[in-house]
Amino acid sequence: MHALTAQGITKAYGGVTALAGADLTLRPGSVHALLGENGAGKSTLIKVITGAVTPDAGTLRLAGAEVAFASTAQAATNGVAVVSQELNLFPDLDVLANLYPMREPTRGPLLDRGTMAERAVPVLKQLGLDIDPRVKLGSLSLAQRQLVEIAKALIVQPRVLILDEPTSALDKDSSARLLDILRVLRDREVAVVFVSHILEEVMNLCDEITVLREGRTVLDAQPRADLTIGDIVHAMLGQDLPTPVRTTGKPNAAKLELREVSVPDRLTKVDLTCAGGEIVGLAGLAGSGHTTALEVIAGIRRPSHGAVTLPGGGTPRDFRSAIAAGVALVSGDRRRVGLMLDKPVWENIAQVRPVALAGAGLLRTGALRESARELAARVRVQPPNVDARAGLLSGGNQQKVVLAKWLAADPSVLLLDDPTRGVDLGARAEIHALLRSVADAGKVVVLCSTDLDELVSACDRVVVFHKGTVCAELTGDRIDQHTILHTMNTGAV
Amino acid sequence: MTEVDRRIPAKSGGKSIVGFGKQVLRAESSSVLIATILLVLVIGVLRPAFLTVGQLKDVLNNSVYVALLAAGMAFLLAMREIDLSVGAMFGLSLITSALLMRDGFDPWLACGAGIVLGAILGLANALVVRHIAIPAFVATLATMQLYRGLAVALGDGQQVTGLPLEHSFFSVLGGDLLGLPVSVWILIVVTVGLTVLLRWTPFGYRVRSIGSNPDAAAFSGISIARTRLYVLVLVGAVAGLAGVLGLAFFTSGDPNIGIGFELQAIAAAVIGGTPLRGGVATVVGAVFGAILLGVVSSGLVYFNIPANWSGFATGLVVLLAVGVDSALRSRQRARESMLGL
Repeated sequence: MHALTAQGITKAYGGVTALAGADLTLRPGSVHALLGENGAGKSTLIKVITGAVTPDAGTLRLAGAEVAFASTAQAATNGVAVVSQELNLFPDLDVLANLYPMREPTRGPLLDRGTMAERAVPVLKQLGLDIDPRVKLGSLSLAQRQLVEIAKALIVQPRVLILDEPTSALDKDSSARLLDILRVLRDREVAVVFVSHILEEVMNLCDEITVLREGRTVLDAQPRADLTIGDIVHAMLGQDLPTPVRTTGKPNAAKLELREVSVPDRLTKVDLTCAGGEIVGLAGLAGSGHTTALEVIAGIRRPSHGAVTLPGGGTPRDFRSAIAAGVALVSGDRRRVGLMLDKPVWENIAQVRPVALAGAGLLRTGALRESARELAARVRVQPPNVDARAGLLSGGNQQKVVLAKWLAADPSVLLLDDPTRGVDLGARAEIHALLRSVADAGKVVVLCSTDLDELVSACDRVVVFHKGTVCAELTGDRIDQHTILHTMNTGAV
Repeated sequence: MTEVDRRIPAKSGGKSIVGFGKQVLRAESSSVLIATILLVLVIGVLRPAFLTVGQLKDVLNNSVYVALLAAGMAFLLAMREIDLSVGAMFGLSLITSALLMRDGFDPWLACGAGIVLGAILGLANALVVRHIAIPAFVATLATMQLYRGLAVALGDGQQVTGLPLEHSFFSVLGGDLLGLPVSVWILIVVTVGLTVLLRWTPFGYRVRSIGSNPDAAAFSGISIARTRLYVLVLVGAVAGLAGVLGLAFFTSGDPNIGIGFELQAIAAAVIGGTPLRGGVATVVGAVFGAILLGVVSSGLVYFNIPANWSGFATGLVVLLAVGVDSALRSRQRARESMLGL
């Protein structure tokens, strides 16, 4: 008996087909990876299964019986739970209140906080979330919040649990713990659907793999043991990815230099030189100082000791002066700090150079849109319509818009913090190609990433941080996921 | 400039100035302009006496003050802020220039002083916001009382009279030019100026950027504190201008004048199509929103509504206007999202 089957699911929005007869078959007690590029139809398929979207055609069976969920609440009461990519939590409420949205146990008209805690504590403990459930959610770290979101789904004891990119915001420890939890769920005969972009993780954890491409199932519940990462990439893209080519910096290009830079509790006497023309990766566990180095270069944090010299010779005093001196900072958190989602693409692209850096004088809408059109074409935003609202683009295209707005400022130092978080493989490769072209133009490119494969495929040199110091510089063939992971965990190559 | 010109696509070069004007009107005033005209016509059909040039000029003249405040308020709403002290700044500027005139200063000098005072009061608001680190809404809730209290104290709680009414200040600013009151001409100039500022300057883009996503704005190198300071000073100066125009028209200084104008200005901006969530604003819409409110309150006089019910009736009309506008907008949004997805 299958826990859930979806057959021939079709869904179109307006004239755009999101799903064209997709199938999904889940066995109880198996962890099932659902893969595909952004736009392949994963999210829509999940919305259909959880009742958020009504399909145009196709059948859904839960334990053999045909069902049609009218709402997510109805799906939840039937044992279909989902942990979404976007955290749906209330930062001003405590953890306990966040665990029971709309289904709080009550005693008369009042909340039964005793029962709530009684049920929550074992789940939190199982997830290794060692916190007082009465603390405010807002005081937790991003990784802890994600665990709360997972706990929220587990509390209803689901038959089908969908995890939509649960590890994108987790550090390595918590990811490992999640993998343990999923093994427990497997033993309890829960059917788990795992959506992830990190293929290594999928290979580590999942029993079966389904791949969607252009709304169709191209790989249907194949046992993981029969597949390689190459097979999966091929199925997702319909083609293979190229192998990385590494270069060294141009010797006479302007350099970005950090000399004995210290930030209390974060960095101790860090020396770092990045020449124009090379892409330098910064790796490390959360809190090891690699992102602090990025903040110091961007002027967001002032070092207590040491000096930063930008390629132009200046020192960043604060973020605004750093931008004026040619620093650009692309964050992976595009929805919060990258974009104005309610504004058209051209206004987002115009935000840095023509708006933030300009003096007085009039801006001509036509000229702004025209130069935005050029930049959007350069980074290949799809659809190539600069009047589309940024919020309507897919994650990968949103990230390209963020890149475009910084490229408009013609930066001499391009800093990136997890730039392809939640971005599909195709767009990710395009973004990496763009970084290469920026580096080839003699600019300094510094890339922080939690995605080891990104560091391996995009960087010429990887600097590994451990407890606030630089512990290794990897070049050439020594840049591989195993070496990076080992070095950032142990501090030694 | 030549480089910019080359980048303009060929097809927009062929567009006439009329087409450009249409585009601006469509973007700016949306439904409020139509609503205002319809309301005037409906009242005119039912009560023909309303449709006289004198009456309509009166309505315009009475709407100028709230319209100016609403134009400034549109900037604040665009960056997710509200200034509750605009009515009090209006009153204090009016009283201060009246007192200066009574005490023998040149009326034009006193007029300039009133506008500068407004800007200084706006600066004070900005400094309070910045140094106590509170939202402008809270800061101006306090300064509204301060400024109003100061106006009443300076005026000794009484009308300021004995002004040199024969002076050119009163005859020019309180008079007519080419068939319209001078204050209406000034409103038109300010409206055009502020529209250009909001829509076509980097400063205007910054204001709207901050309202759209403050974190993204800060992460693009836009200084939120500095932009807010400029906007609050601008709003103060506009309130000061409204104050001296009011003095020229009323020819005496009432320390209680303009109480409640702040809420009318917010209502006018919202009716005009500037949402409270920030990111977008229209100065033209805010001005028409104020005119709509003016039409409602003077139109109601013609319908024999008992004086004690006129406030209730005004509220009802405002609710209707906002409701219709919101319904139109959500229909448009639904159509957009159909296409967008």
